[in-house]
Order: sequence, then structure tokens, then C-alpha cells
Amino acid sequence: MRAPLRRLLSCVAVLFWSGVLLYFYASGRINSYLAQDFRLIVFAGGLGLGVLGMFNLLTAWQKADCGHDHGGESHDHETGDVHPLVAFLVMLVPVVLSVAWTKDQYSSATLSRKGLYDTPAEGASPIFAASMPPLTREMIEKGHGRTEDGFYEFSLMELFLATGDRELQSAIGGMKVQTTGRWVEEKNNNKAGTRKRLYRLFMTCCVADSRAIPIVLEFGKTPPHFEENAWVRVSGTMGFPLEKGLLQPVLVVDHAEAAEAPEEDSFMRK
Amino acid sequence: MRMSPDSQQDFALAFLGILFEGVPFILLGTLASGFIDVFLPPGMMERFLPKNRIAAVFMAGLLGAVFPVCECAVVPVIRRLVKKGLPVSCALTYMLAAPIVNPITALSTWKAFQGQQEWMMTSSRLLLGYFMAVGVGLIAARMPLSSILKPKVLSAGDAEAKSHEHQHGDGCCGHVHTGEKPDRLLASLRSGMKDFVDVGVYFTIGVAMTAMFNTGIAPGAQWLDGLAKNPTIAPAALMALAFILSLCSTSDAFIAATLDKFPWGAKLAFLTFGPMMDVKLLFLYQTVLKKRFILALAVGLFLAIGALSMLWQNLAVSLP
Repeated sequence: MRAPLRRLLSCVAVLFWSGVLLYFYASGRINSYLAQDFRLIVFAGGLGLGVLGMFNLLTAWQKADCGHDHGGESHDHETGDVHPLVAFLVMLVPVVLSVAWTKDQYSSATLSRKGLYDTPAEGASPIFAASMPPLTREMIEKGHGRTEDGFYEFSLMELFLATGDRELQSAIGGMKVQTTGRWVEEKNNNKAGTRKRLYRLFMTCCVADSRAIPIVLEFGKTPPHFEENAWVRVSGTMGFPLEKGLLQPVLVVDHAEAAEAPEEDSFMRK
Repeated sequence: MRMSPDSQQDFALAFLGILFEGVPFILLGTLASGFIDVFLPPGMMERFLPKNRIAAVFMAGLLGAVFPVCECAVVPVIRRLVKKGLPVSCALTYMLAAPIVNPITALSTWKAFQGQQEWMMTSSRLLLGYFMAVGVGLIAARMPLSSILKPKVLSAGDAEAKSHEHQHGDGCCGHVHTGEKPDRLLASLRSGMKDFVDVGVYFTIGVAMTAMFNTGIAPGAQWLDGLAKNPTIAPAALMALAFILSLCSTSDAFIAATLDKFPWGAKLAFLTFGPMMDVKLLFLYQTVLKKRFILALAVGLFLAIGALSMLWQNLAVSLP
């Protein structure tokens, strides 16, 4: 393949990647993919790729002399390992398909794989614990807002992690709490069909390393209808009953309503 | 394999997440590599090495900190340097160490492992990579060159050594001017783009495979998860994966960090073995090294890195 055409293919691939990075950053969709401290890096990377691609595109027909010899080898800084057309297709096709396919969230099958139905004891890790502030009974009362109906506002993460901490269980157990998360089916211990599950993701760096942080919702009757993965705010009484030998975070729900998506889809490491 | 809409959605999310995370670091690495490729005059590297052979091997393992080159770019550089008379032991040490012991790889490893003992993983990777490379260099220093280098490279090296004296006499060591005005910025940015595309191809394939395993779409994903629980097989499995994926050292940490079912030591093995031996390197090494030496190198690195990673993990766990 002639050098200018080879350069053109590379430039198009590089510029396309640049466009995708910049689009996801500018549209805010990047929030569903990366932790906060990576987002600006993506923006810089997108700009850098744009400059690299444009520079090489505008100079594709220009000759360049690097000014040194190559010890008897062919004088070339440009011939790659892979055929340029193959490289072009490999760089473009998966990215184009992924941009077309993505819904910025996982399906329930992959959420299951990422701990949606694991017990908190199995899913909890030092990473999660390290991301939480120390919590005492005093702090619970001082550090949490209260709704007009008298429910303390908790993050789902706190309720999830309390399952592995006896002190927190005794402090939070029996409290009237309100929390927000995504609504999914409950597949465990739900023969009566009175339960649902509420979750959010915990992201360390990118969405591929994220884990689901769930609690169980008990309605005592047929639960109301919300779309799968819809954001829902629930209020009720928190408990940590032993079910099949394992402690479970169960919220006995008084009230459930649709909620606005929070600014950040996922919890992030601190 | 036909993917369901749910699988497509899951694959796309994981694929784009890892891609976005790694691309800026690949760009940084390939731009640095492009500038070194064009601006670094032949002979510059030798000036950093002491005359004592053993000390030179230890020093060669650190040259990546000054000349950060990824594993794809390092082989052609080494080929040129060996032909120009750089001791093979030093060349091998630099070749194996530079992709790991360099600031760009250190930065990307530290960034990728945020919240997962990032300092421990970064320092362990650099130390293990350095000492493995130095170990290979010291062994190579005791071997006859004819058992390491391909005959063509060996004879070219001899010829180059003779002409080298002549060039020194001319006061223009290896720096032949073609008569045209050099446009090094253009040449280096072209070289950088070439490197980016080369690395981007392997990275895309690696990310696609990782995304399929990560979301359970790939056949054998459950089987791979099962291997993760075995402390002996887990490092071997990830080294085999690193060999197949052929990732760039500037971005492989972003893949390793998402392999959350695998223990820390197995990830260290993945991050150390991959930049030293993978499918694409196998082909690149054959332009310089003898097949028998490459095989011995691959087996030796596999066993040594696997054993040291497991040992280091056990030691690290037992630390207070």
C-alpha cells in the first residue's frame, strides 16, 4: 500500500477514536464509564489524538527525513506490524459496534455476575470499607438528614456495609430510613413474590471493575410496578434478619416512588 | 457466536470503559516512543553504561527510566544497537526491562490500581521486572553470542563494529546525513502515529477479549473464574492470557485491574510476564534472537515470574 494512503487510514482511525472520546466526555456519558479522576484524562487524550490525527492528515503527502541512518535497514519509521487495512478495521469496527450497542448500563445477567445477588458478607471488601467514613450512633443522628416524615436519609452503601458490622447493625437496625437506588427483581427467598432488590454500582476505576451494592426490599404484599433498572426512592424500617444462615440487609418498605437519577450513577472510591 | 441484545449491551459497556481508561496512556507512551525513535542518535545509549560488564547490565535495566520505550518499539531499537556493538547482555536487559521500568508504565499501573494497593502493585511490578531482566542479562553475559543471536545479526554486528571505528574517525558516529533537510518533528509524529495504531490494534483485541470474559459472554469465562481460586494455577493462567493478548505495557494494567476474581500475585505475574513475552514479541524476537534461546527465555521467565509472584504474594500477605 502506498505511504499516503496508509497514513490516511491511520489518521481516520485516530481521528475517529478522538471523536468518540471527546463526544463521551462532552455529553457527560463518560460518567457511566469511568471514575471521576479519569474523566479529564480522557478529555486530554481525545484532544491529543485529534491533534496527532489532524497533523498527520494535513502532512500526509509531505516527505519527511529523520536525519539519521538505520544501520543498513530500510529507512522507515512508519511501516507497522499489521496490514494498514486490517489495523483500520480492527480499530474501527469494535468501537463503532460498541457505541451503537451501549445503553450505558449492564443487563441483569451481568449485574448478577457482578454481585447483585451475592450476600453482603461475600461482596464486601476492604475497598468498600475504605471508601466509607467512620460511623457511630451519634454520627448517624448528626450526619444524616431527616425527611418531613421522620426517615433518616442513608446511602445504599451504608445500609449494605452495615450487614457486615455488628455495631452498625445494632445502631441502624429498626431505624426508619430512606434511600435511593435502581430497582430490579429479587431472585432469592422470594416465593411469596413480595420482595424486590435495590442496588447501585461501586466503581474503582472503570465500569468493568464495578461491583453491585444491593439491599432487599420487603413489601409484605405485591410490590408496586417500576421499570427494571429505574431509579426508585424507598422509605421504611431497616433490619438485618438471618436468612438461610446469612445476614441480609432488608428494608421493610412503607413507601416507594420514582426518583431522579443522581448526579453520579455509581459510588466511587474516595 | 451470535450475541443477544443483552450481551451486546454488556460487552459494549465494559469494552468502552476499559478502552477509554487506557487510550490516553497509550497515546502518551507512543508519542514518547516516536520522539525517541527519531531524535535519539545511535550511540547515545551506550554513553550511559559503565565499562564494567556486570555494572553495565545493572545499569541497562534502568535505562528505560531515561528512554521509555514499549515492548513493540524496543525490539527494533535493540536490533540496531546490537548491530552497532552494544553488549548483548546489556541489550537483552534493556529489552526486557524498558517496557516495565519506565515512568509511563509506572504511572499507568499506579493509576489503574487506584484503590487496589496501587503503590504495592506499582513498586512490585517495577522491582520484579527489573530483577528478572537483570537476571537474564547476567546469564546472557556468560553465554556465547552464537547461542543467542541469529547468524545474520551476529555477522552484521561484526561488520558494523569494524566500520564503527571508521565513523568515529570521521567524527560522525552513525549519523549519516542524506542531503535533505531533516524534518524530525514530522517524522517523529508519523512514527508516533504508527506506534499508536500498532498498539491500538492489539489493545482493541485485548480489550474485546477482556470485556467478553469480564461480562461472562466468552465461552470459558466461568472456567477462567474457577482457575482464579487456585493459588498455583491462577498466575499461570494469567501469564498465558498475557501471552495471548499481547498487550502494550503502557495499558495492560487497565486490563489486569479489572480481573477482580484473580489474586494480587496472579495480576503481578500478568503485568511482568506480558511485556517480556507474548505472541507478537515471539515474532519480533525472531528478528534478533535464535529460536532455541527464545524458547528457553520463555520457559525461564514463565517459571521464575510465576514462582516469584506467588512467593511475593505470600510474603506481602504475612506482612503486618
